Amino acid sequence: MTALAQTAIIRSLRTPKGTIAGAWLLALVFMAIFAPVLTSYQYDVQNLKGAFAPPSAEHWLGTDEFGRDLLTRLMYGARTSLSVSGIAIGISVLVGMILGASAGFFGGKFDRAVTVVVDLTWSFPEILVALILVAIIGPGVTGTMAAIGVAYLAQFTRLTRAQIMAIKGETYIEASRSLGASDAYIVFRHLIPNALAPVLVSAMLATGDAIILEATLGFFGLGAQPPTPSWGGMMSSGSALLFKAPWIILLPGLAVAITVIAINLYGDALIRALDIRERLRQA
Amino acid sequence: MLSYTLRRLLLLIPVFLAVSVIIFAIIHLIPGDPVDNLLKVGSGPEQRAIIEARYGLDRPLPVQYAMWLGKVLTGDLGTAIVGRRPVADLVLQALPYSLALGSLALLFSTVVGIFLGVVAALNRGKLADQTIMTGVLLGSTVPSFWLGLLMILTFSVYFQWFPVSGARGWSSLVLPVLTIGLGGTALVARVTRVAMIEAAGRDFVLLLHAKGMHPMRIQLRHVLRHALIPVVTILALRIGWVLGGAVTIEVVFARPGLGTLLIKALNQHDYPVVQASLLILAMAVMLGTLLGDILQAAMDPRVRAALT
Amino acid sequence: MTLTLRHRMLAASVSLAALLGAPVLAQEAVFVVSQDQVGVPTYNVVMTGNTNTGATMIYDTLVVQAADQSFHPGLAESWEEAADGMSWTFKLKSGVKFHNDEPLTAATIVTWIGFFTASDNSYMTASIEKIEAVDDLTVKMTMKHPDPNLLYNLSSSFMGVVEPKAFVEMGADYGVIGAVGTGPFKLESFTIGSETVLVRNDDYTWGSSLAENKGPAKIAKVTLREIAEESTAFLELKTGGVDMLMSVPTDFLGELAKEPTITTLTLPGQEVVYMPINVTKAPFDDIKVREAAAFAINQQEILDSVYSGVGSVANQFLISSLPESQVDPKYLVSFDPARSAKLLDEAGWAMGADGVRAKDGVPLKVSLWTQSDSVFRRLTEVVQAELKAVGIDSEITNFDSSTIRDQYKTGEQQLAVRSYYWNNADIVDWFFGGDRLGYPNISMFNDPKAEELRAKAMSGSANQTERQANFKIYHEYILSQFVMAPIYQPVANFGYNTARLKMPATIAGTTIDGQTILSMEVTE
Repeated sequence: MTALAQTAIIRSLRTPKGTIAGAWLLALVFMAIFAPVLTSYQYDVQNLKGAFAPPSAEHWLGTDEFGRDLLTRLMYGARTSLSVSGIAIGISVLVGMILGASAGFFGGKFDRAVTVVVDLTWSFPEILVALILVAIIGPGVTGTMAAIGVAYLAQFTRLTRAQIMAIKGETYIEASRSLGASDAYIVFRHLIPNALAPVLVSAMLATGDAIILEATLGFFGLGAQPPTPSWGGMMSSGSALLFKAPWIILLPGLAVAITVIAINLYGDALIRALDIRERLRQA
Repeated sequence: MLSYTLRRLLLLIPVFLAVSVIIFAIIHLIPGDPVDNLLKVGSGPEQRAIIEARYGLDRPLPVQYAMWLGKVLTGDLGTAIVGRRPVADLVLQALPYSLALGSLALLFSTVVGIFLGVVAALNRGKLADQTIMTGVLLGSTVPSFWLGLLMILTFSVYFQWFPVSGARGWSSLVLPVLTIGLGGTALVARVTRVAMIEAAGRDFVLLLHAKGMHPMRIQLRHVLRHALIPVVTILALRIGWVLGGAVTIEVVFARPGLGTLLIKALNQHDYPVVQASLLILAMAVMLGTLLGDILQAAMDPRVRAALT
Repeated sequence: MTLTLRHRMLAASVSLAALLGAPVLAQEAVFVVSQDQVGVPTYNVVMTGNTNTGATMIYDTLVVQAADQSFHPGLAESWEEAADGMSWTFKLKSGVKFHNDEPLTAATIVTWIGFFTASDNSYMTASIEKIEAVDDLTVKMTMKHPDPNLLYNLSSSFMGVVEPKAFVEMGADYGVIGAVGTGPFKLESFTIGSETVLVRNDDYTWGSSLAENKGPAKIAKVTLREIAEESTAFLELKTGGVDMLMSVPTDFLGELAKEPTITTLTLPGQEVVYMPINVTKAPFDDIKVREAAAFAINQQEILDSVYSGVGSVANQFLISSLPESQVDPKYLVSFDPARSAKLLDEAGWAMGADGVRAKDGVPLKVSLWTQSDSVFRRLTEVVQAELKAVGIDSEITNFDSSTIRDQYKTGEQQLAVRSYYWNNADIVDWFFGGDRLGYPNISMFNDPKAEELRAKAMSGSANQTERQANFKIYHEYILSQFVMAPIYQPVANFGYNTARLKMPATIAGTTIDGQTILSMEVTE
């Protein structure tokens, strides 16, 4: 498995698109983690007299309506956006795989029930699912994470189920079973590892969508609450200042767009490297 | 074909019941109380009890559910607690706005997406392919509200071609349709491109080439026809987007619509309105899925053969 | 040649506009109601705690208040107060009829006043013991006690005269599906949180003594739009999508000044922005912590940075044009971080290394509620930083502007940032009366001494001078309890398109309402 991952990463970086996208993502994660070291400004200390400063040598990307350094806010915002989307998708993948694997493996009524619910939520606009869930859980980082997690649950359940269904009938599974392997052994030893690659790649692509969803919830004022910066939250306050200081909304929007493109391009490269396009499409 | 359709329609009944239970349960998980909206300043528990009784909110949840379902089945969606009007009126008022925006955006994504997908597939690997695919990717990776705001800034404020907000006439539809449409174009273009490339490699296409048919004719008449099957399926499955997915854009452009109605009602804890709008969305989604399956069956000779 | 592209675009824009634009019909105008009126749920002015400009267009009041706070004839032609203040006689205008053709008579007034006893606004008529029709057009009110504020109440938009039959017939639906008054405009349609369409009342000839035009209105149809986002409203005005904004955010005043066809009309403000403090929730059950929070607010900094220096700081609870606002200077609340720090130390909240105070290991962490529109959110973030500066860590929660009032009813709030519009000292009673806990009494303040002073101010004053003195004392006591922190006092900025709207020479009353809109003209 690790060897496969290594080859996949090395191969994915061979295309120019994959290299550029991978470099951006790496740089972003680096900035998010080392933000406190990389900038001398604090993300939450206001300097109202220096508000609305356009980009300058002192503030490379200008300041926001409270005189806070925008580059600093963007770096800390990356922390929020990446971790919220990443964790949400992580939970979603985990639960989705368990649900999908059991539905695919056991079949029957349980499978049908799961399929109906999953198909239905899958066809529902994610933003509505997320908005309703935030209404139940309450705004903030936790609420956003849970909402995004549930919004994408259907996708991973579907995908895992399809993978399991495809592999289930293969000869080596039959053979393993005839040798007396237990259900759990077959699921964890054969089915899940084989379904893993497509699920992980699609999880990566979904993280891109989740970043947009997180930004949208932030735009509605439901994401991370101030003074914690998030890209969506920054755009939310920037939308009212579109005229006075357009850079406040432009920059986080660009950050989201570039990051999501990078995730998509890198994801494409990974798909190619792993040669799993066909299997992803089965779902 | 007919029996297949009927069978699928019958299957919708248990699904509908399950959905109605889920929706009803979700609504009651939301903290807050519609009665707060109606209570007079400084009123005590007695006044609360009176209002709860008026809207049947004092009954046990299963009873409330049964009453609601019974009414829904007879076509009565109830009365809005805050809005005071019949929910059906509110929904019917919002629906045309959502339908206009959603269907035009879907049309835009479909036409432009299929066109770009075809062009990209015909130029596979060339500059045109690369440019188109990167372009549509860009359209789907920018947050839609951000794109909408930039559109307002450019086309409404700078050029003053279209209104900034609201829903007055066709001109106010242009920017919201473009904003949503651009986001959906990427999906359609990608699916079309892949399906075209795949269909082009099929045996019957190779046979047509061998027969000496004009390549362009093969591509547009035969390959495209096959490539459209997955496109149509995806579009039908995404019908929920047509009605409810536009909520962000409705907010950005201050437009009325089903999404806005739902969110507002959610904020006000106006249960009957939330329930009705969710149920209508869910039904649209179910019918969309069904439509997708039937269309797929009708268009794909293999599936059609298997059914008859 | 460089001009070509731009020219083509202009030409294209003209033809596009012709092709797609919904033509604005003659004599129609679109106004955007002020921010605080977004989401007002009903035109039932008798029952509701919040009304909007539309209510002043649908209904007339018996009396109207001029800009100098004096009172003038509205639906009442004249009135007389008994020497001892124990009775009032009102003579009604003749020939006035409601939108449903019912005539306005003394009997109508008697029935209508009766509706108030069961409403949130019952305090408006609480001093009336008995009301009777002397003849067809004469009403006599017998008082429980002299009420120097009666004329003010009768002039308020909550006391727009409602047609009793329609009111009773529609019941709970009144004000949402229909509303019937005698005003210059009739309610055509109302979509909560979105828009109200009003059409001219062609029979209207009874404009108030302050109105330039006595009727009918010169504009045939007025659409009042509710736009939650102020920047959108501003862009609509700038691009000609709407004709008037009833409140222009200070951020955009500079931008609007650059527009040749847009004029800003500034009237004295009736709004006060403040931070209620819930006295029942620890740590604010300790008056020292309340006082510390109040003195942590930097009014001047907020005025300069959030409101571009337009308007003025607020140091007490009332708008400064009211005599009751002239309190003893020792009650004024004005930024003093040293005082905050000292009080918090005294209260046992010691500064921690992370800049947050703590007591017995519990950090000084509180909730701070605000509403979702952008200016409030921005202000709240500044308040949050200012509280943090003295060691109070606050967590912001945003609520939808239309639903936050219901949230207050839960009593869960600790601090909140909000504002009110009112130009009478009785607002102190409204927001701090012990029988209105939750909302409007967001501070959950219920104190025997305050109740005593309140009763005296509300019903124990024989004349205006006495009332002012009583309210001043009540107001001072409220200030001394630090149940809120005053922040800012705006001016009222109306922005309108001069190419479309012609404003009358004088504004009828204290703000632009139905009686001024009556005289406005649309130019094509």
